[in-house]
Order: sequence, then C-alpha cells, then structure tokens
Amino acid sequence: MKRLFQILPRPLLALALLGGFGLLRTPVEQGLRTRLVEANLLLPPPAQGALEQMGQSALMGTLGGLRPLVATYLTLEAFGHFSTKSWDSLRQTYQIITSLEPRDETHWTSVVWHLGINATANMETSQNLPAFERERRFREYAFQAIELAERGIAQIPDSVAIRIQLAEVYREKLKDDCAVARVYGELMDLPGAPGYSRRFHGYFLARCPGHEEEAYAHLMGLYREGEHQHLPTLIKEIKNLEEALAIPKEFRIPNPDPDLMRTAPGEAPASAPSQLQTLPGGIVVP
Amino acid sequence: MNPEANTAGEVSAVEVSHLTKVFSLGLKREYVVAVDNLSFHVKAGEVYGLIGPNGSGKSTTMKVVLGLMAPSKGSAKVFGLDSGDIRARNEIGFLPENPYFYKHLSGAETLRFYGKLCGMKGRDLERRVDELLKLVDLEGAATRRLGGYSKGMLQRIGLAQALVQNPRLVILDEPTAGVDPIGSRQIRDLIMRLRDEGYTVFLCSHLLEQVQEVCDRVGILFRGRMRREGALEELISVDSQTSITLEGASPELLGKIRELVQRDEGTSLVAEGHPRTSLEHLFVRIAERGEDPQP
Amino acid sequence: MSDEAPPPNPEPDRATPAPAPGARPVPLFSFGRVATIASGTVTQLVRMKTFYFLLAFAAVVVAAGNFNLPATPAKELSMIKKVSFGTMDIFAWLFAIVATALLIPRDQEDRTLYTILSKPVRRIEYLLGKLGGVLVVVGVSLLAMYAICAVMIGAREALFVAAEVEAMTADGRYSDAEIAEQVGLIRQQGLRAELGIAVLASFFKAAVVAAVTIFLSTFASSSLFTIIVSILVFLIGHAHSMATSFWLHETNNSVFVQMLVKLIKILIPDFQLFSFSEGIVQGEPVVYALVWQMGAVTGAYLLVFLLLSLLVFVDKEF
Repeated sequence: MKRLFQILPRPLLALALLGGFGLLRTPVEQGLRTRLVEANLLLPPPAQGALEQMGQSALMGTLGGLRPLVATYLTLEAFGHFSTKSWDSLRQTYQIITSLEPRDETHWTSVVWHLGINATANMETSQNLPAFERERRFREYAFQAIELAERGIAQIPDSVAIRIQLAEVYREKLKDDCAVARVYGELMDLPGAPGYSRRFHGYFLARCPGHEEEAYAHLMGLYREGEHQHLPTLIKEIKNLEEALAIPKEFRIPNPDPDLMRTAPGEAPASAPSQLQTLPGGIVVP
Repeated sequence: MNPEANTAGEVSAVEVSHLTKVFSLGLKREYVVAVDNLSFHVKAGEVYGLIGPNGSGKSTTMKVVLGLMAPSKGSAKVFGLDSGDIRARNEIGFLPENPYFYKHLSGAETLRFYGKLCGMKGRDLERRVDELLKLVDLEGAATRRLGGYSKGMLQRIGLAQALVQNPRLVILDEPTAGVDPIGSRQIRDLIMRLRDEGYTVFLCSHLLEQVQEVCDRVGILFRGRMRREGALEELISVDSQTSITLEGASPELLGKIRELVQRDEGTSLVAEGHPRTSLEHLFVRIAERGEDPQP
Repeated sequence: MSDEAPPPNPEPDRATPAPAPGARPVPLFSFGRVATIASGTVTQLVRMKTFYFLLAFAAVVVAAGNFNLPATPAKELSMIKKVSFGTMDIFAWLFAIVATALLIPRDQEDRTLYTILSKPVRRIEYLLGKLGGVLVVVGVSLLAMYAICAVMIGAREALFVAAEVEAMTADGRYSDAEIAEQVGLIRQQGLRAELGIAVLASFFKAAVVAAVTIFLSTFASSSLFTIIVSILVFLIGHAHSMATSFWLHETNNSVFVQMLVKLIKILIPDFQLFSFSEGIVQGEPVVYALVWQMGAVTGAYLLVFLLLSLLVFVDKEF
C-alpha cells in the first residue's frame, strides 16, 4: 500500500480522492438542494424554454450565480422600455426577469401593472393608431397582463400583491366586476391580505349579476362583526341589496342610508337583527 | 561504527552520503542527474564551502539538506537527524540566494514572524529580535518595511532571520550574490563571527574569492560530482613554493636575498614584485576609510 | 581579513547563546504556527491595500440606493438589497480566489516559501495558516460590506416609512391598522436580522472557493493560472443543476456526453447550492436547520480540499 502511495503520482491520487468525495457528497447535496428549493431559498434551474429566450447576459448570470444582479439590471432596462412606451420589448424583458427570479413578487406585480394599466392607458390615449387597432391592442395588453398575473400566482400561490394588481386590471380596464369579486374572494383569506379585501369582495360581488344573494350574505357577515365594519360604502351596498333582494323591513339594518344622512358609523343605532340565520328567500347569513 | 559520526566520535553537522538527485523533464521519459552519488560531511563548528559553477548541483544539494527536496537515492542528515525530519529544521538557519521576504513587513516584524514560527514568543522573542538587529547592524532600520531595504540590508536581515531560533547550523546560499563590495564585506565578517561563536556554517557559492576568505574546508562540485575536497590550505597552497612578503626592505637587503637564493642548489626565484590587493579590497578601502590608494 | 573593516557589532558575546546540545522537540501540530502564518497573511493582505475594494463596493451600494424608479418602496428596497447583496457575494468569492491564488504561488516565486519551510513548520500548518488568513480577511470584508449595506438599506427604509406614514395620515382615510399594515410591507423588504444569514451564506461560498483555489495553487506554478482555472471551476460549479436537467434527463444525448457531465458533477463542487442567500435577500423565511447543514457541507469541503492540497503539497519539491 505504501509502495502504491509512492508510485502513484500525487495529482492522480488527489483526483481519485476528489472523485470519491464527489460520489459521497452528491446524494447529500441533492437532498439539500431539494429542501432548499422547497424552502424557496434556492432557485430551481430556469425552465428550458426560458433559457432559450434569455440571451447571453441572462445565461451568464445564471451560470455565474448572479441571477439577482442580472434581474435587477434587466429591471432597469425594462424601465427604459417603459419610458419609450415599447410595450412589447418590456413584456419580453420581463419574461426573462420572471424566469430568472420567479419567486420575486415585485417582478410580477410590475409587469402586470405596466401592461395592464400603463400599456392599456397608452392605447386609450394614443393618437398614432387607428381606433380599431388601438382597441385590439388594448385588449391584447390587458389579457397579456392577466396571463402573466396567473403565471405569477402559479409561482407564488399565496401572493396577495399579484392578485391585487390583477384585480386592478379587471376593475379599471376591463370593468369586469365579477372577475374583480372572484380575485378578491381568492385573496381575502390569504395571509397578509389587506383588511379591505373582504369588503371589496362583497362590493364587487354585489355588482356581479346573479350573485346578489351571495354578496348580501357576505356583507351582512362583515356588518355583524361590529361597528368597525360599518363603513358608509358597506352600509350603502347593504341598503342597495336590501332593495334589490326585497328584504322585509324587519330584517333590514337600522342604519340610515349614508347618501341621505351622513352619520358616523359609531352613532348608528346598533339594534341590528342578530338571531336570524336564514332570511326569506333562503339567504343564509353567516 | 555510526555512519553519522566522524572519526572523533562527534556527530557531524551535515552528513551527505551517496546522494543522488534525478529530475524528470516533463512527461517525457527524459531525466537530468543534478547530483550524482555525492558524499561529504560538515564538521560541527567549521565553515564549509561548496563551490562550483552555476548548475553544478550546489542548490539541489542544499535543498535536500534543508528537506525542501527528497533524495532520489542516498541520504542527508543534519546532526544525525534525517533531513526530512522536522526536528532537523530547528537546528538549521537558512538564508536563500537573493531572499525575498514579505515586503510589507518591517525588519523587526520579519524577525518576529520567523521567531514565532520557531515557537518563540513574548519577551524572549523580543530580546532575541533586538539582539539580532544589533548583530546585523539594522537597529536603525528596524521599523522600516523591507520594500525599502537595499540588497545588502536584505541579505543581513535574512541572516538574522536564519539565526532567530539560535540554530546550530547556518546554511547560506550565495550569501553575497548581487551585493556591493561593502555589503559583501559586512556579510563576510558576520560569517567569521558566527564561526567564532561556535556556529557551523555551510555555504554555497560560485565566488571563489569569497569562499577562500572564510571557509575552513571546501568541496568543489562540478556536474553533480565532488571533484576535490579538503582543507582550504591544502587545496590552494603550492607545496613546492614559498612566498615572503616584506615591508620597507631596502634594495641592499633584496640584493642579499637574491644572492642567497642563487647560492642555494635546487632553489630558484620564480617571481618577484609588489603584492597586489584585490579590486574588492581596494574599493572597500577607498569607500570605507577614505584611504588614499596610492602607497 | 577583518583588519580592513570593523565588525558591525562590537559586542559579539552578547548576540548568541551557546548552541543547544541535542535536537529540540517539535510538536506534531502547533496552532501557534498556524496563527502566525494566518496573521502574517492577514497583515500581508491588509498592507497590500486590498480593503480599498470596499470603496468600490460602497459606490455600488450608493448607486443602487438611488435608482429612483417609479416603483413602490418595497420594490425599491428589494432592488437595493439585491444589488448590494449580489455585489457582496461576487466581491467575496472573487476576493477569495484572487487573494488565495496570489499567496502561495507568490511565496514560491519570491522564495519566501523556502525560508518558511526551512523553519520547523509543517506543511499542513502552512496551508491552514494561509487559508485561515484569507478566510479572516474575507469574513471581515463581508462584515464591513454588510455594515455599508445596513446603513444604506436602513436609511432608505426609514425614509420610505416616514413618507408613507405621512401620506397615509394626511389623507385621514386610513386606520392605524392599515397604516401599520402598509409599513409592515415596507419593513418586510427592509433591514431584517435574517440578512445576516445571507452574509453567512456568501461566506460559506467564499470559504469553499478559497479551499478549491488553495488546492489548485498547489499544482499551479503561477498566480494567473490559478485565478483563471479557479474562476472557470467556479462558473462550471454553478451549472450542475442545469446540466442535470439538460443532459442527464434527455435520452437523445450520447453516452459520452452523459458520462462527461457526470464526471464534472463529481469532480467540481456544486457552487450553486451555496446561492441560498438569494432567497433570504428576497425575503423568504430562513430555515435554520438547512443553514447549519450547509455549514456542515462547507466544513466537509474545507476538510477534503485541505487534505487534497496537503497530499500534493506535502512532498512537493521546490
């Protein structure tokens, strides 16, 4: 053995030992990699399709462990596209950015905001294009924004921010109250959801044809949580629904219509019907 | 008999026996024999000079003695310890040719660094650093960084570094290479002092004059083999000739001497003239003493 | 002969005590010698003015702190963090490679190595000392860079929070809870204690790179060669997971290509695994068990590469 140790050139022996260590560590590292990726601390390798689109700089970044830096650089580049209103380039740049850092929520919200709000607004006001083309592109950018938001949600399933941005596109640009209500319905139970999201879900549900009863039940549930929820809009929406659903007088909330008499929520008589679980028409109030 | 011991029964400072060192050239099966079956020993307390032209195997021999290289064949021992043994390193102080120490360290820091490597610390180390700086006459430059040292100063701090752990053997590789005559003389004087203080000195040089001045014994190495070895006097004296140097001799006295020589059978006058100082001596005299070179 | 020049020191008897009689013992391993070489290395790197690169780093951080994009405060903080921590990571590993590659080949070129190894210093002590010195300098630099980042991020965060609170209270439409929620969103991307773990992750990576570079420098004869090969190894070490999904899961690749990829995976460390600072910087919660396990992996790499270096270095001839 000692003889062998002397005969073998040391670099070769070192290489052999290196190989042995490699064989030992590979399964350990594989396990660690899986758990680090699960914990979102480590990024999985970009999808093959993404790599092909990436271009040299992004690929180098991935190789050199510089993904965050390349992504930030591209974010600055995307800002350049935003200032020149080059929306298609902006979308392509963000496709690379989001494939470099799919777990960064801010990339998704930015691209949804750029395409869904800025690009569509640009199409609404653009003087250079014929009306038909503007409308066509308006819808295209809005739908691209929606698609990107959904991809982002797939990457970060409990993202509140992406959903809020998506809801904005539906609300402000597509005027789709049902979709807004659906999105707020998804996000209101997520950790970190803003306090208003449950109310918004109710407000937009109330405007979604065919969902009035559901909206009434939801808003009444909020109303019953206490005075901190007795905001003018909530009262107004409930009043409207009471009318629309023809709720019997005795079951209606006692608050005055905020449009008729502005009263602070705290001053409203708080003798709301409390025992009722089922209203006429089969509306169940939680 | 113990092979490391010389006839007096004392352990040699350096004992090289049948040392062969072969280098392979790259991946090809070509070899260079740098040292070929070399044997010699350095007695404790003497100054031994290994001389030879560049490429004769001096440095290789030295590196084997230092344990920086392993012998291909044969052995090298230092005070009876195999040269690969780390304990042997405690007995050796080494000054390489044209040493480059860390330029960013000052003279005192350099000595402290090497002292700590030898396990010295605290006040003992500080005392030793002061002593050595004084010995090599660099007290004034103790806090200056080595980047600003001259070659001669570097050589002297190198010598101090070699002595830091108070080794028994000092190995010097071309100790005056590239140093001006004054610096060279200072180093030579230091070597003489080391011998006087009981150190064993083993030096390599291709400057014959230098070796001639300081060494008790020399070995002449050529193409990896020992060609001549012995006491300096034995090697350089011409046994059949004698020279007499006189000062203030009158022409009359010189005439008488010539007459005496002529009268003796079997004796002939080979040469006569004024002895010459070496160029080095002349230069040193002018520079150091301001002495008029004219007699 | 000494009649012509006086000896430099007129007190010869004081300089050298009598030589010791027998061989002095040398301990098997001395932390003192390792520490001496390590502190020598630190002094060397410090006096080479290597810390000036911190100025360049500070410039990057200041530039990153002033992007001023039309973005939310959280987004802007996130970008500042990513640029500064990304730059910190690069500086750390690049510094580890260059410093390590400069040290050993340079000692060899300058023959300083001869004087060190001709003292009773074991070669493992020399290697450990050099690596230790580089790691101390890398660690201190990382802490300094972290401090620079912390000042920048902390300042921006305070500014953003103040502006947001002012805007929200001026309107009077928002409850305290809503304001706290909004501030929480900003704080999420601000200066958090977890960022320290991101610095630790960069240190792990730099430590492994330094150990690999030491190993390479025991073969190499020049600093330049070591630097180039080390950087190459580092880059290849980031492509492991990509290479696996590209070449090993595809059936149409030749056996030769698959074998080659496997061989590279076995020989070259998986550096991408050490990029888990990216997730932390993005604000993901830290799983401490995984961090300590990565620490253990780092330790294993250091140990193995030191042993490998020693194997080559132990009877290397100079």
